[in-house]
Amino acid sequence: LSNVHQESSMFTEVEFCVMSGTDQHSKADLENIIAKCGGIVVQNPGADTYCVIAGIENVRVKNVICSNKHDVVRAAWLLECFENKTVVPWQPHHMIHMCPSTAEHFACEYDCYGDSYVTDTSEYPLRDVFHRMSKIKEKIPFEMMANLEERYSWNNSSYNIFRHCTVYVDSFATINDPTTRINTSSLNIRALELRFHGAKLVNQLDEGISHVLVSEDLSRLEQIKTMRRAMAKKFKIVSVSWVLDSVKMRVPQMENAYLL
Amino acid sequence: MEKKIRSICISSYPGAIYFLQIAWKKDLGDGFTVALTDGHSAWTGEVSQEDVSQEAKDMEMERSNYVEELRKALIMTALPANKYNFDLLEDRENPEIYHFTYEKTLKEVAFKLGSTKLKSVQNPAHVIKELISYCLGCTAELYSRNEHLQKENERLQCDWNDMHAQLEKFVDGKEELEQTLYTQFTCVLNEKKAKIRNLKEKLSEAQERLKQK
Repeated sequence: LSNVHQESSMFTEVEFCVMSGTDQHSKADLENIIAKCGGIVVQNPGADTYCVIAGIENVRVKNVICSNKHDVVRAAWLLECFENKTVVPWQPHHMIHMCPSTAEHFACEYDCYGDSYVTDTSEYPLRDVFHRMSKIKEKIPFEMMANLEERYSWNNSSYNIFRHCTVYVDSFATINDPTTRINTSSLNIRALELRFHGAKLVNQLDEGISHVLVSEDLSRLEQIKTMRRAMAKKFKIVSVSWVLDSVKMRVPQMENAYLL
Repeated sequence: MEKKIRSICISSYPGAIYFLQIAWKKDLGDGFTVALTDGHSAWTGEVSQEDVSQEAKDMEMERSNYVEELRKALIMTALPANKYNFDLLEDRENPEIYHFTYEKTLKEVAFKLGSTKLKSVQNPAHVIKELISYCLGCTAELYSRNEHLQKENERLQCDWNDMHAQLEKFVDGKEELEQTLYTQFTCVLNEKKAKIRNLKEKLSEAQERLKQK
């Protein structure tokens, strides 16, 4: 690499170890960039190595991560530095792995998802943070969403007007039996409309529901009312126009006019 | 030319079924032709525009109301059959002429809506043949219309199912996205709160130390 023409001195005396390239930039490309900026390239990370650069996470990279002695940085960071002709400070999204001392430094500055404690965020950085969080398996429960919306006064959005409703839709020929669903009924569209506007739909007419939605077909109404008599918390039986009107007015309408 | 064929009962011959064909142009009030058959014999006659006007006048009815009554009596089949009475009476003087009368019955009273002279047809087979061929024509037309509507209905149902599936996908997506965003929001928010708690603790520790000094 001695014949490389040096373009910058930002990496002078800094030792790097490139472990893998990316689809666009081979390992040799990346090493070339380092040399162009005055940096030193070694094939195995040692005590003087500033950091390990990795395009893809292969077995060697994993071994370095396991040994926990070196910071492993994405090739994107190197390219960013080269493009801007300056050493870009490491940010959480640059890091594949951090050794304990770096991790500690980052912990003062960023939370574990990479969002800064001190710097304001905006759409794109936050998108980035969220994107890196996509692995989170455990989603918050439905009730918590309703509480959050209430707390931050997001509950006046027209997309969650039914958030506090738990609805059983009378679209099964036999109550509580989803296999007897009556297809191509407009009730099925109203059900989706309810969900789209934040309602929680249930397949079982059980204690705790707030509404039962019925269509023109009132053949099961008496049975539903009988079931209601046995419940401590009384649900309201409303016609589809309650949904239609509420969506149209963008606020939940009083049920009284729609009761059956 | 519009035509309507229906079966009626004749008071003078109870039990037998007669077929009545009314044909008219545009409006029944402009006059119409009547053909009646019992399957063996046939009788035909005509009611002119003037006849209609005269009948309306005799009954002291608004002409349009009278025409409406005629329509109900002669053409409509959906109404209860016993509301109207039909009769066919032989003329005393001329055996070739019959009087076809139609009347409306109202709680024990009946009032005559009209009557027309029908003449026996020499060749009833011709009338019957025409009647049957008209009926077959109607059936064929209804059949093809039914087929068309059925196809249309199938297509609409298909579209409906497609749209429903798509809508369901969108709603699923919206719900999932919402939940994911709220989850991520909560995580980041809670991290910030943890930091605030941590700083608060550090602050009170520092204040403690300051007091002790």
